[in-house]
Amino acid sequence: MNIILSGVGGQGLVLTTSMICEVAFRAGYDFKSNDVVGLSQRGGKVWGSVKIGEKVYSPNIEKGKADLLLALEPLEGLRWQDYLKKDGTIIVNTSEVYPVFAIAEQAPYPHDFLDQFRKDVHVVAEDVLKISQGIGTSKIVNVVMMGMLARYMDIPLDTWKEVISEKVPEAFLEMNMTGFDRGYENIIGDSY
Amino acid sequence: MGKELMTGNQAIARGFYEAGGHLAASYPGSPTVEMLEEIKHNYKEIYAEFSINEKVAFEVGIGSSFAGGRTLVSMKHVGVNVAADPLMTFTQTRTKGGFVLMSGDDPGMASSQNEQDNRLFGKFAFMPVLDPSDSQEAKDYVKMGLEISETYETPVMLRITSRLCHSRSAVELGPRVEVEIKGFERDIKNFGMIPPNTFDKQFHMKDRIEKLGKETFKLGINRYEPSEKTDFLIITSGLVYQNLKTLEQDVSIYKLGMVYPLPIEELRNLSEQYENIIVIEEMMPFIEDQLKIEGIKCEGKKFFSFTGELDVSDIRAGLEKAGVIEPVDSAVAQESGEVMGRLPMFCAGCPHRPVFDILKKTKKTIIGDIGCYSMGILYPLEVLDTIISMGASIGIMKGMNKVLKMAGKKEPLVAVIGDGTFYHSGMTGLLNLLHRYDPDDNLTVILLNNGTTAMTGGQPNASSSSYGDGSDMNVDLPKLIATMGFDRVRVVDQFDYKEAKKVIEEEIRFEGLSIVMTTRPCALKFKIKEPNFYVDPSVCIACRTCVKTNCPPIHMKDYKGFDKQKSSIDPSMCVGCSVCSQVCPVGAIKRRV
Repeated sequence: MNIILSGVGGQGLVLTTSMICEVAFRAGYDFKSNDVVGLSQRGGKVWGSVKIGEKVYSPNIEKGKADLLLALEPLEGLRWQDYLKKDGTIIVNTSEVYPVFAIAEQAPYPHDFLDQFRKDVHVVAEDVLKISQGIGTSKIVNVVMMGMLARYMDIPLDTWKEVISEKVPEAFLEMNMTGFDRGYENIIGDSY
Repeated sequence: MGKELMTGNQAIARGFYEAGGHLAASYPGSPTVEMLEEIKHNYKEIYAEFSINEKVAFEVGIGSSFAGGRTLVSMKHVGVNVAADPLMTFTQTRTKGGFVLMSGDDPGMASSQNEQDNRLFGKFAFMPVLDPSDSQEAKDYVKMGLEISETYETPVMLRITSRLCHSRSAVELGPRVEVEIKGFERDIKNFGMIPPNTFDKQFHMKDRIEKLGKETFKLGINRYEPSEKTDFLIITSGLVYQNLKTLEQDVSIYKLGMVYPLPIEELRNLSEQYENIIVIEEMMPFIEDQLKIEGIKCEGKKFFSFTGELDVSDIRAGLEKAGVIEPVDSAVAQESGEVMGRLPMFCAGCPHRPVFDILKKTKKTIIGDIGCYSMGILYPLEVLDTIISMGASIGIMKGMNKVLKMAGKKEPLVAVIGDGTFYHSGMTGLLNLLHRYDPDDNLTVILLNNGTTAMTGGQPNASSSSYGDGSDMNVDLPKLIATMGFDRVRVVDQFDYKEAKKVIEEEIRFEGLSIVMTTRPCALKFKIKEPNFYVDPSVCIACRTCVKTNCPPIHMKDYKGFDKQKSSIDPSMCVGCSVCSQVCPVGAIKRRV
């Protein structure tokens, strides 16, 4: 299974990539991952890949070969959608983060991103920031989305929860667990 | 002990720990930063430090190795340029304690100012170069590197690319082996590198590399993977090997773990069994050139780019061109239209924002340096006019001034430099301003003291502890500069926008040498937790002065009941630094209470 993750610096993407790897590893799969984190903490684009299988060589995923795209921000979903194979799935957080060009009004932010997603893939869209804030913090967007992702992967929920409980800060554990569950449950019936 | 998932950086730290490593030194630079951080946090048996720059880190490493300690020095590729002076002489000595230099190369330049291929340093310094292809090999090669270093009395380069530094894969853990520190023994012929002691060192270097080239098979670091059904032999190394394997092609592969020296005789013998030999390597034709010099017929850069990464699809395309594989008529992947770019920008609350907003308005020539503030060259700020290398801004400003004056084109010049970069190599440039200084040189140095080496994730530097980060150095920067002999040093809080603007403008106008130091710390490391701000749309005149400060939470939006768009601030992102409220000409931006 090939998963691409994309988002904006500061959204916790690197931690998410490492948690997905850990989950795959404990479930007995071979895996490799990658994060491209150049200037990520400063609002730049950041993306990663996770490859899971019996034997994995390169961590890199070719265009048109990804099964899943976990987009933590809509524009970053559009940027990577060409990497999905036909019938692949985009899971996208609809909460927008304006890039410089939109802030400076050089070009409008593509609010119609749902219409711009490919027609030959499945799109699962949620305002995950709103869900997270409802739970009590804006910082768990990544974990709520991991809950959504877990629906598409044949790995026991306990493995996911075990990894989350080891990797997130103790003080935020409960909110993260609630977030993961919410993500997992929320996904039903919300497909576009 | 089982397996664990590790990045390349983590695996190298682990390998050094298991190999009984004693001392690790580094200067933070992407992609290698996390390696030393990992040692600092997890392996207390090892003495680890982020030194003031790469040269010093390397020298600390030399001392450790001289005393018989197993040593690891790490830096990004351009850092090796800074350390090249001690490297090129240290390599002449007979290495005592195992010495590995980790060089983080950045093909494709994800976060670097150039793309130099540091494998060439290996040849330049008669130094073996190891090139791992995943985390397990990264760990194994550190251990092997230390052993090669001690056996052949040579420093060893562990070359790793940015992808592998950050890539994760499973690594088999082992216990730490304690290695005795033998201590320092006076041996002037070996440690006193002046002629004539250096004469026979040239032969030592040549001999050890030749010997290693003949004995590579003993290490088991290179691997031949023959296939019966092909006339093609592909020679490759590193992540490129993994990308090639992903293609699942029926070709013979010779995977190098050590790219210098090459096992020439073995490759020569193999070459006789194949019609065609293809070399696949990123950046320079390093392996290819060595083979060609030895008269082994091969091709490489004819089919593969000399710049950027070679990903799976690049390798496929190159192999199709070379006639190794048949072009597959793969279904054309759907290409979506162009997606709006996303440039990096200063964080919400970043102390550089008001400074660059002020500098933009001065419309002067501004010489940049390396750090987060390098982003001041990007749209929409476009404040900086040049960026070259660490600490270079002040020297460049001086030379530009002298020549402009010569041509009768004198203008005020400004250099901006951060505290970390200043300590790294800006201090020398500053001191040099005092030499052949003319009173009418109008030069201004803006020292952005944010209390940390921010770009690489907030490592402490020589004045960080004055910001209360718990580190152990507390250099008083204005005092240091005054002691050097500069009498015009002004210190300003840039979050007092009006005052900062006044001071910066005054100093740029001032005929002579002046230094302005700003005081606000990095907002990423030293979080600002003030009540956030909001825009009152009934007061806002839509002039966009706040938008032009280029702050992540601020953009224009529609409000109910207003025809025109007005400014807005996303409350989930605003940290309350107040800069936008200070630039607003009508008081439309208010603090939430």
